Amino acid sequence: MRSGLLVFALKRVLEAVTTLFVIASLTFLLLRILPGGPFDSEKALPDEIKANIEARYGLDQPVLVQYGQYLKGLVTGDWGESYKYIGRSVTDIISETLPVSAELGLYSLLLSLIIGIPLGVIAASKHNTAFDTTAMLIAISGVALPSFVVGPVLVMIFSFGIPFSFLHGTLPPALWDGWEYMILPVLTLGLRPAAIYARMTRGTVLEAIRQDYVRTARAKGVPERTVLFHHVLRNSLIPVLTITGPLFAGLLSGSFIIEVIFAIPGIGKHLVSSVSNRDYPLVLGLTLLYSTLLVVSNLVVDILYSFVDPRIRVEK
Amino acid sequence: MLSFRGTADRFSFLVSLAVVAVVAVAATNLGCTSRSSSTTVKTPDGRSLELTKADTLRINLGSEPPTLDWNKATDTTSSHVINNIMDGLVSYDLSDTELALIPALATEWKPSEKAKVWTLTLREDVVWSDGVKFTGQHVIDGWRRLMAKETASEYAYFLYGIKNAKLFSEGKVPWEQVGVSLTGSNTLRVELEKPMGYFPQLLTHASTFPIRLDLIAKHGDKWTEAGNMVGLGAYKLALWQHDREIVIEANDTYYGSKPKVKFVHAQMINEQATAINLFDAGKLDCVDGIPSVELKTQRKRKEYRSTGSLQIYYYGMNTKKPPMDNVHFRRAVAHSIDRQKVVQVLDGGEIPLTGWVPSGMFGYFADVGLEFNLEKAKAELLKAGYGPGKKLPKFSLHFNTNENHQRIAEIVQSQLKENLGLEVELKNEEWKSYLANMKTDPPHLFRFGWLADYPDPDNFMNLMTSYSDNNRTRWADTRYDKIVETAAGEVDREKRRELYRKASQMLLAEGTPVIPVLTSVAHLLVSNRVENFPINAMRRFEYKNVVIKP
Repeated sequence: MRSGLLVFALKRVLEAVTTLFVIASLTFLLLRILPGGPFDSEKALPDEIKANIEARYGLDQPVLVQYGQYLKGLVTGDWGESYKYIGRSVTDIISETLPVSAELGLYSLLLSLIIGIPLGVIAASKHNTAFDTTAMLIAISGVALPSFVVGPVLVMIFSFGIPFSFLHGTLPPALWDGWEYMILPVLTLGLRPAAIYARMTRGTVLEAIRQDYVRTARAKGVPERTVLFHHVLRNSLIPVLTITGPLFAGLLSGSFIIEVIFAIPGIGKHLVSSVSNRDYPLVLGLTLLYSTLLVVSNLVVDILYSFVDPRIRVEK
Repeated sequence: MLSFRGTADRFSFLVSLAVVAVVAVAATNLGCTSRSSSTTVKTPDGRSLELTKADTLRINLGSEPPTLDWNKATDTTSSHVINNIMDGLVSYDLSDTELALIPALATEWKPSEKAKVWTLTLREDVVWSDGVKFTGQHVIDGWRRLMAKETASEYAYFLYGIKNAKLFSEGKVPWEQVGVSLTGSNTLRVELEKPMGYFPQLLTHASTFPIRLDLIAKHGDKWTEAGNMVGLGAYKLALWQHDREIVIEANDTYYGSKPKVKFVHAQMINEQATAINLFDAGKLDCVDGIPSVELKTQRKRKEYRSTGSLQIYYYGMNTKKPPMDNVHFRRAVAHSIDRQKVVQVLDGGEIPLTGWVPSGMFGYFADVGLEFNLEKAKAELLKAGYGPGKKLPKFSLHFNTNENHQRIAEIVQSQLKENLGLEVELKNEEWKSYLANMKTDPPHLFRFGWLADYPDPDNFMNLMTSYSDNNRTRWADTRYDKIVETAAGEVDREKRRELYRKASQMLLAEGTPVIPVLTSVAHLLVSNRVENFPINAMRRFEYKNVVIKP
């Protein structure tokens, strides 16, 4: 049994590495196909100057050579220097901005778990009551409301006291200088996953409550609290665990919109602007970072999953 | 079932309790933060700077500066910082409406041989912020590094006017053959390829500022980090937390009059609406740029300021692509655009433009170019061969994806339809794709702009010479090239003005490869506690004269 798990884990790790290699290569290729180069600007450059710049970054080499150097760099940890931010390496940019986004993402995830799961459980336990309907209405709004609406509305209320003037100046409208600055962005970013968790938990709890083993447990006189925590919640949290992986990776790598609205010095804006700047090394670095986060979190979830549910291992 | 409900109730109770606690703590704590009037930052050299509100000007850069290496910087964000921590040989009088040149590191500059040779006298009482004496060699080092192949600076061409500079940049001649030399300890002799009356203007530009090679040798690319960097400006770099903030502090070794405000704390807020929020919350002293949707409200505030900028917005035409290959057709299009209406619809204070040099600059002519005139437009269309009964050609108007460009394009599209019955297809493209297409196959009609590097007409007139990389219209007229070259070398102001009038006429009314549309206006908010905030057409934000009212 244990060696089966090991083989399964090894297989998944191998698959993950292959996936990352394919992503890295595809991104490299796609970037070169994309029209327009990193040094095209409104002010056109004379040919000899463009040649000097391309030589500096090795862009005068054949594409295959560049690809080889890129792969070599990936392995040795040299992810190159940004074309846009002169003198800053891609790893510098990641190490300076990722922690901020990760902090924002982690708090948002925690908040969404704290709000989402209890809300879902309560809604399920009060199935078809006014509480259930209200909670789900809020949850659906949470999924549907875009953060560029939620963010400014929260700022309006908590920074400028509109319409509740006593709240004026309660929270700063933007920047990232301490914990009070984190509240509004964390709320804005956490609302959506909280709603997703709430809806999902409610569904799975409802399903679990109707299972035969729950009925059996109750019939056997197991205390209701044990039924809920031991039988219902444990089984109904498996799907919740599944979405936590990718959700966490997504939150970790930052949210472009939230970072822009609240002027947060995270990595999200680089994910977007590096592409429009055709900053090849930065795009490659960030794509690979994001893919690694996704692949690793999926991998962890898969392995955890196979612990929880041995059938998954057998099927694979 | 009861205990199930009980658990659920306990959950909801705990959640509500947590929410209430967070809000309560936030409310008490935040009150303190917003009331507190200073921020403390730690510099890389281990000092603690207390940025009190009374001593600090709090500004927004808009984004992370791509570099503070002035040999390599090409963008306005970088220059915003650089122009405060460095001085050039020559500077502008920002209080003068015509932005007259004033001495900076050079006390005087004299042309000889009809402006083909320039002699500059440098100040001798200047030291860098680390105490090292400033010398003429630092100027030469800066220019050499700017043009050197290995530096790979985008602005290497900036000093191509100097004898053999271009050849040096291409690696074809050694530096010794470039026309720059030190004659005496503080005199710089510059020999140019051909006469250039505006040469001193170039020396106001950051790319030409002196440089310390010893620091670059020591720190490599990291010489621009706080702690490594030194300068000759009124301020010096104290802190640069990438993607987050920059703090500059008054430079005690500055040769000029010392700045009145001790610190400038720059944030990097990308979103204009967010910057306005912070301004309203008292966390910023100025905002540069107001979103068009908010302009109407913000304009009414007493903190609102605006300034014209030395910038043109124009439509170019590919003169090799039918029907744009017909000069009469091009003129018909130019005559049928009502710029007055365009700016009315935009309602952002823009100034309609028919000439090629923006207003507020030497070389601006209000009466040059093809004005809106329906009769002339129809007559030109007839001359182009599109008489009654002849089917009008369809063509496309391209612009890079942007709300404002879209609006202008839509107005022009409807004007061309209404005035001449022309069917114009609009096409927007992502910026870099747009630039790529512009090189390989410029469309019929396309949007472009130009922001002055220095306030001299040559910076604009040169764009449309047959050999300019920025001339995307494929229009070439050697007569035009000749006049622009002659004007560049002319030292007599009036003669020069007449040459530019002639060249503008040739470009806009005779050849018509371009149609100027407007000059944009910058909108700012400046806090009432700030005096002498630098607002000028060159958009040069130099803070040394700013005063903060107690």
